[in-house]
Amino acid sequence: MAERVTYKDVETISKFRINVIIGLALLFISLPIIINYAVLFISSFSNKMLSGMTVHEIKFTLENWRMFFSGRLSTTQAILRNFWDIMRYIFNTLVVGLGVSAVVTLTSMMSGYAFSRMKFKGRKFLMQFLILLHAFPGVALIIAVYTMYIAFKLSVPEHYLKMYSFTYVVFARAALEVPMSIWIMKGFFDRIPWEVEWSALVDGASRVYVWRRIILPLVKPGIATVAIFSFLAGWEDLIYVRTFLPITEKTLATYIEGLLSEGSLEIVHLPAVAAAGMFYLLPTILFFIFARSYMLQTSMSGVKM
Amino acid sequence: MVSITLDNVTKRFGRVIAVNEASFKVNDGEFWVLLGPSGSGKTTLLYLISGIYKPTSGRIYFDDVDVTDMPPSERNVGLVFQNYALYPHMTVYENIAFPLRIQKRPQNEIEKKVREIAKMLHIENLLDRYPAQLSGGQQQRVALARALVKEPSVLLLDEPLSNLDALLRLYIRAELKRLQKDLGITAIYVTHDQVEAMAIADRIVVISHGKVQQIGSPEEIYNFPRNVFVATFVGTPPSNVIRGELTSDGIISLKSGYLRVEPEASKSLRSSGLSEVLIAFRPEHIKISREPIEAPGLILQGIVYAIEPLGRETLVTIVSGEDVIKCVLSNGESIKVGDELFVHVEREKIRLYHPETEELIAY
Amino acid sequence: MLRRRGSIAFFLSLSLFIVVLFYVIPLVLTVYVSFTPMKNWNVPRYIGEFISTKNYQRLIHLLKFDPDTRNVVITTIVFVLFTLTINVLGGLALALATYFIDEKLSATYQVLWLLPRMTPVAVYSLLWYYFFHPTTLGILNSILMALHIIKSPIDLGMDPALMPWGAWSVIVFVNGLVGVSYGMIILYSAFKSIPRELIIASRVDGATTWHIIRKILIPLSKWHITFVTVWQLLSLLTSYAHTFLLVEWRIVDSSWGQPWALYVFNTAFVGAKDQGLAAAAAVILSIIGILLGVLALKVLGYERMMTEPKGDI
Repeated sequence: MAERVTYKDVETISKFRINVIIGLALLFISLPIIINYAVLFISSFSNKMLSGMTVHEIKFTLENWRMFFSGRLSTTQAILRNFWDIMRYIFNTLVVGLGVSAVVTLTSMMSGYAFSRMKFKGRKFLMQFLILLHAFPGVALIIAVYTMYIAFKLSVPEHYLKMYSFTYVVFARAALEVPMSIWIMKGFFDRIPWEVEWSALVDGASRVYVWRRIILPLVKPGIATVAIFSFLAGWEDLIYVRTFLPITEKTLATYIEGLLSEGSLEIVHLPAVAAAGMFYLLPTILFFIFARSYMLQTSMSGVKM
Repeated sequence: MVSITLDNVTKRFGRVIAVNEASFKVNDGEFWVLLGPSGSGKTTLLYLISGIYKPTSGRIYFDDVDVTDMPPSERNVGLVFQNYALYPHMTVYENIAFPLRIQKRPQNEIEKKVREIAKMLHIENLLDRYPAQLSGGQQQRVALARALVKEPSVLLLDEPLSNLDALLRLYIRAELKRLQKDLGITAIYVTHDQVEAMAIADRIVVISHGKVQQIGSPEEIYNFPRNVFVATFVGTPPSNVIRGELTSDGIISLKSGYLRVEPEASKSLRSSGLSEVLIAFRPEHIKISREPIEAPGLILQGIVYAIEPLGRETLVTIVSGEDVIKCVLSNGESIKVGDELFVHVEREKIRLYHPETEELIAY
Repeated sequence: MLRRRGSIAFFLSLSLFIVVLFYVIPLVLTVYVSFTPMKNWNVPRYIGEFISTKNYQRLIHLLKFDPDTRNVVITTIVFVLFTLTINVLGGLALALATYFIDEKLSATYQVLWLLPRMTPVAVYSLLWYYFFHPTTLGILNSILMALHIIKSPIDLGMDPALMPWGAWSVIVFVNGLVGVSYGMIILYSAFKSIPRELIIASRVDGATTWHIIRKILIPLSKWHITFVTVWQLLSLLTSYAHTFLLVEWRIVDSSWGQPWALYVFNTAFVGAKDQGLAAAAAVILSIIGILLGVLALKVLGYERMMTEPKGDI
């Protein structure tokens, strides 16, 4: 059983000095990012925006969050929602996220395997085509995709319209992620030793059986990666939900968009919008907490198959 | 239990010829070893027999059935891979049961067969473990159990011992041979270790660069190597090979010695247009003397260059003229570096090879 | 034999369905729409009207005579070049920096720089809304005023006096921070895959960190650097989401803050709602994109990225 040795750099080099110098430099250039997110975070808990000159007037408050969940982000009554509206928006965002994740994961699990392990005519061409697709301007496609959406919509019965638009937006958004995800899954499939599959095939198992029972359990990290990233892609999307979903079915993205385009400083309470933004950011932050510890784990243990 | 016949099988990968017109027949119940260095094509040959690869040309038969176009699952072969290829997410029991599950056998039959084979290979107490929890030797036995549980007609093994440490290798080697005889199953075994091949094979196929060099029993391969490659690949240390000049009748001359052959042999050598010949002999057939020797066979004079005591025997390196000769002596205690000695090899132990084709010259 | 074909069909079915329905057909359709006078998404009315190259002629006319449209082209060029430079050099710098420091510190900074890419577009735009706000509420203005660099708040993205560099700085900066993480991740893993023994051996020979960067790390990652550059170039040419809200929320001037891709989107979906014209502009963008994409595949040596399947079963 082979062991992996991790080599560190030569021990006589001052690691401390390098860490301090580079660390400080990194800190400096990371300031814009740090400042922005800190402002967002703190403002969501304050009565005034941290960005202003009135830093000394800042007081801690949970009022913003109350406002967010009750749907009343304006100091006047101009933009009125209620708790259930907000819940619905959150739910819609979830639906899009989970939908995109499901479609992308399933597609790449299946096609990634075929590209990795099976010989068929046009394989090379298709893979080249997939790479090219990713370079293709999405904005050119969306015009036509929306045209088709409108054309098909005419034949959709009234009470199915909502389901139609959600299904459509999920597939349209998922389509953007599919080429890259197939490549990523293919990479994971490539790493499985050929003999494991050959053993099962020699015993008479069908390809689908081998894929389902033997291979998939072995690429769980790949599946998790694709599932998480595609969920985030759906959750975070603005353009597609804005284009395809009816006005009444907002997601957190279009809700925030509406707050600042319909309203302005006089109408909307900015710290409350910050709270909305923070909530929307939650899955991303959760992802990061796990990503960092996972990254540390894999780079420090160097586990080999 | 079947016989396996290869008829002029060739396998190309692009422009590379991995297996070049291989033909042989393995009889029912025999234990054959495909022996060759890395990259010689022996594993490719094994995969061709199993059906993982399809030949570029040629046919393969199990008994009288042409299996060339049959997928592996229809050939009923059991395959043990070099790295075992166990399913890491399944228990040992599940791993072994897998082929039977595919065949949709009833549950109680599966249970019975798995336990039987596990008992035969002494792993019945490991059935609940996962492959990662097993030692190398145990993993190998699980791989073997999985291959045997479906009662295949042919057992194929790809360097099954190469990942084990030396002691374990010896032990399992003997067990494998015994197991094959007990089961009576036709087996083909791939290895680059010629000691291993000699120890377990009924017949050996020596392969180099995709071409079959020689097929024969271990004794034949060892004592009558068909060409210089086989002579030097088999045997530790390998045969000594030196070049000699055909001079007068019955004498082949070397820088520091000569080889006396029969006049008829010498005549036939010269009539085939040869002026030189390659002389091969095994290190253990060498006799040492401090006095000059007069006897039929090969006589060389040389100086001891190195001595390596190996316990049971001593490996002595002697430089004679431009040639370096290795001898294996069972009583080399009195020899010292720098000693001047005479080397003698009996005529029957000498093999002659063509200087260009390196083929054995019948004498 | 038949079984094989059946399983290949099974595995590829879903992706083929998606690719055909959302890439192949739309591609053809966009080209078609560019030859129709479609407006206001009145599909049934306009989809049958084939008016030949009128949209393209209009586009050329606009490019020649309409300053707003001309500005879009200039903005696109400036935007792509500057942001690409930031993305590649920034990614390289970050990858190098995180390569040499401690694992834990390294992971922290990499995760930090991934934030922009992984933040919802609406929230990311919200951050920059706060940052570039044209009153004392804006972070940039607060800092500049506190440092006494300016006396009253500036409107970097919209003030005519600061055009076009004001608007350009905003969109380049905003998009730059998003793209840097891509290069950072790819180059970092490229560096990591270089056998550590090479670094240690060179240290033993007395190499400084700068030597190692110049002589080992960069030469051995040439392919990856090329890949990042090419990939980012294509991305930048076609991205518009991160700039969209900045224009809509009037943080950035619509004339100097719209790269070509955003111009296409806005023409089709916002404001003029002239899909025919937008499609024409989209087709031009697509042609450039595809040409660059094919070039990219050649330059990167596609073969290197593909391994052939083994075995004949």
